[in-house]
Amino acid sequence: MKPRFQTQFLLFIALSAFAALNLTPVIWGFLTSIKQPVDAFAVPPKIVFTPTFEFHYQIWVEREFWRFLLNSVVISVGTVLISLPIATMSAFGLSRLQSSGSRGLLAGLMVMRMFPQILLAIPFFMLGRMLDLIDTYWAMIGALVALNQPFTIWLMRSFFIEIPEELYESASLDGCSIWQEFRLVALPIVKPGLWVAALFSLLFAYNEFLFALVLTGPHTKTLPVAIAEYGGEDVNYWSLAAAAAIGIMLPIVIFMMVLQRHLVRGLAFGAVKG
Amino acid sequence: MTGDIIAPDASLAGAYGIAPMTMVKEEITSPLRAARLLARAPPSLADSGERSKDWKYALFLGPSVVLICCVMIYPLGYALYSSLFNYDLGSGIHEFIGLDNYATLFTEARFWSALGRTCLIVTCAVTSEFFIGLFVAYGLYLLVRGGRALSLLMFLPHIVTPVVAALFLRWIFMGRWGLLSSLLISFNIFPPDWLGDPSWARFTVVVADIWQFTPFMILVLLAALNTVDECLLEAAKLDGAGHWTLLFRIMVPSVWPMIAFVLVIRVMDAFRSFDNIYVLTAGGPGTATETLTMYTYTTAFKLLKIGKASALGVLTLLFVGIVAAVVITVLSRMSRGRGKSVI
Amino acid sequence: MLPITRRQVLKGASTVVTSAAITSWAPHVARAATPVQVLSSRYPALEYYADRIRKAVPDMPVELQMMPFDKSLELITIALSSKSQSVDLVYATESTFRTFAKNGWIRPLDDLWAKYKQEFKLDDVSEQVLDLFRYDGKLYVMPFTTLEMFFFYRKDLFDQAGAQPPKTIAEYHALAKRFNSPMRAGTIKCLKTGDSVLNESHWYMTALGEGWFDPDFKPIFHHDKGVQAMEALKEITAYAQPGYTAAANDECMIALQQDLAAMGPQWTSRALAMDDPNKSRVVGKFEWVPLPQGGGKISMDGYCISSFSKQNADDLFRIIATATNEENMRGAASMMVPPRKALLNDPALKAKYRYYPAALVALETGKPVPLIPEWYAVGESISRRIVQGITGQTTVKEALQTAAQEAEAFLRDRGYYRT
Repeated sequence: MKPRFQTQFLLFIALSAFAALNLTPVIWGFLTSIKQPVDAFAVPPKIVFTPTFEFHYQIWVEREFWRFLLNSVVISVGTVLISLPIATMSAFGLSRLQSSGSRGLLAGLMVMRMFPQILLAIPFFMLGRMLDLIDTYWAMIGALVALNQPFTIWLMRSFFIEIPEELYESASLDGCSIWQEFRLVALPIVKPGLWVAALFSLLFAYNEFLFALVLTGPHTKTLPVAIAEYGGEDVNYWSLAAAAAIGIMLPIVIFMMVLQRHLVRGLAFGAVKG
Repeated sequence: MTGDIIAPDASLAGAYGIAPMTMVKEEITSPLRAARLLARAPPSLADSGERSKDWKYALFLGPSVVLICCVMIYPLGYALYSSLFNYDLGSGIHEFIGLDNYATLFTEARFWSALGRTCLIVTCAVTSEFFIGLFVAYGLYLLVRGGRALSLLMFLPHIVTPVVAALFLRWIFMGRWGLLSSLLISFNIFPPDWLGDPSWARFTVVVADIWQFTPFMILVLLAALNTVDECLLEAAKLDGAGHWTLLFRIMVPSVWPMIAFVLVIRVMDAFRSFDNIYVLTAGGPGTATETLTMYTYTTAFKLLKIGKASALGVLTLLFVGIVAAVVITVLSRMSRGRGKSVI
Repeated sequence: MLPITRRQVLKGASTVVTSAAITSWAPHVARAATPVQVLSSRYPALEYYADRIRKAVPDMPVELQMMPFDKSLELITIALSSKSQSVDLVYATESTFRTFAKNGWIRPLDDLWAKYKQEFKLDDVSEQVLDLFRYDGKLYVMPFTTLEMFFFYRKDLFDQAGAQPPKTIAEYHALAKRFNSPMRAGTIKCLKTGDSVLNESHWYMTALGEGWFDPDFKPIFHHDKGVQAMEALKEITAYAQPGYTAAANDECMIALQQDLAAMGPQWTSRALAMDDPNKSRVVGKFEWVPLPQGGGKISMDGYCISSFSKQNADDLFRIIATATNEENMRGAASMMVPPRKALLNDPALKAKYRYYPAALVALETGKPVPLIPEWYAVGESISRRIVQGITGQTTVKEALQTAAQEAEAFLRDRGYYRT
């Protein structure tokens, strides 16, 4: 079927409508953040109103949410920078190991991904307190790196197993050590996949709530926890929460837009299974 | 035979236009394909020289394994250990009761109804996500221009922090002045109580999950659809196949492993979903939307019964494992006739 | 070009992370003046006080963590139960402090109270309030606010219809029915599972029923009178705003402010929000009376000193005493009822705030919730069952019986009924 203009056009309209519908909660959240409460919750909904950015100013400057943003960024970036290398190394190792032990390990990783978070939250707190690590960046980063391993190892392994055997054979014939095999042969090929893994690890670390609630304190509080603190008791808090909610999305959106190209390459490569 | 765990490429790939994709495909496919066939040599040939290197490869696993053991195995052990105690944070009681917590849970109506409710919500959510995702992905697949921008927009709900997403949804679904209700009211339609009516609350919770995770489905499925061999499709079209046939008779079967993978992931995650429900209904009204996770949370943080909550967590883990195993088996069986293994 | 950019990004990022990680060790290594750590709930009056607490003692830095009540209770419980030294002052209500006191997690204040009585004029604090903050004869909490519920109603609508504010619950029901219309509900109901349900049902259970527990703390709310009370609560939900089972205080306030309901019980601290043009469509149209038949919830809260804190107890006491001295408390008077007698009887305040007179009467007729440490834990299940009964998922009688069974089992587990 050659793409007929009418079909393409209708399809585009339909998908755009779907995308717009999908975005409604976000758009409405944004509108709520620039309205006074009296307008934000009016019945029927108000489209015409006087916008105010006072809540954005209040939450980011007066209530110092920029500090929490910094914490979130430090923790997420730190998590990705540590998690990705060690997961990639593990994935490489797993992809090269033929033993059934490696299959068992893989299955074990899958099981770990099933852990209900709540189950781990209290032991984490006890452990963190014992080692006096509550309210430090290391506690959060350590926890998040470990939690992130199963998914990332899986993901990277699936890129690694695509690498043809001869490449390794010719490398070892050339006298490469295993580490060189990893760095010079395998890594360059899966580089695009690294970006995909980075994006998902970043998302995971950035949006994490439950463990952040338990492991962070006033110095290291992250954005999701900070937002949850504006839950109730005064309508103004909701406008503030809305302003914070919009702001929290921006870094990730920017990250994705800036690194579009790398992501495309990674996903295009990974998608080739033909 | 080496299994094929296909990459979860939640990808913007296909959406970035078919052209670059085909280019890449042509460049890499053939040698890669050939190489793959070679790589599938019987294990005996492949690892005779490898066995001596095995321990070196195992070293690569070192850091991860150490970290995982410290950070995940220990807490799991602690939780298992706690589940054998009557450990009450509120009064400091800490006495060994063996499997009593489990016995209490198995004979508790609240546990079973939470379990059933969780299964219901997960099934509805994941099934809807899959079909909506599939249709939208197919639509994006067919789109020649504009697919990239659209899929980026569609991905947005997925990157919103779950806590924030639940807040946004609350403002949509809140009775009377939430966006949805107030819109309907201005047309003189009086909507049901989305969050307050027991059945509608469950519906809203499912919708919340769909909103957040369909983008993930869309992207994975789109990437999957993009890997389908064009020749097969051309041949079918020449035979006069319509969209339905193309999609369900040809494309879906050929990307079955990736579909299976994403379904298993979604089922596992949906079972543990927490933030959404917590902000939207807090498990209410009454216990209408109380899932296993909500019940565990309530037991641990409100009733402060750590022992019982740990037991609940362990049971949840076991149940998720069983469900995952069942799903994998079922999906494997469904694909047996197509000659592709799932795991 | 590309590799360079990426490498730079990676380098920059790793520098940020390492330096941040290193600086985060600093607090552990060199503690010059360790800040006082406070865990607190969050609502307007507390935010005002937070500011005062921070400025209370000049060379003692204070860090407050504020979050919604539920969350704060969880965090405080976890911190105290694990004997954490990282918390110095914690927020508590007249119910929650009992758990803390029972377990020895907070420090009695009697000695410090006597020591600083003169300096901070502590005699001025109302006895009624102090009584509620005593456990086992000892005082544990420095009172900050008194909160009670009273009755909001739309004077303009009432005048138009020639109606009088209700004096009995039956009158309240009749009025709610009368003013109920598709676009504007007769009344608000805040029946979100948890605290909200407990507050609303407390009123009915006290006024129409016979209370929650008998003197031995066995549940009695599932007996006939209790069932009647809850049936009455169920009856009035017919005239409540849609979405009431997911409505906590905020949502109910929005309903009142957006002209979506005509009357209902709410907290005195929210009265002024009705007259804020940035929040309310119905400025000046509301008036207040005490809850018909009394029995509304009275809640008091304040701050306690953790038993595990490493800070000087005197200093901690000075901080909370300064924050609640007469001058500071006056500033909060618009947001809650002050525990200090001088302010309670201040004619200037009565003149300034329209709702004050009604609030004062409500203080007399209200009643606190059962004063047992396990109230919130037990209340969590009770509230769920009540909602089930009210929404018709089970009958009210069954719901209350299940709740009573669960409550009794829970309390027995905690060591009640031993004699």
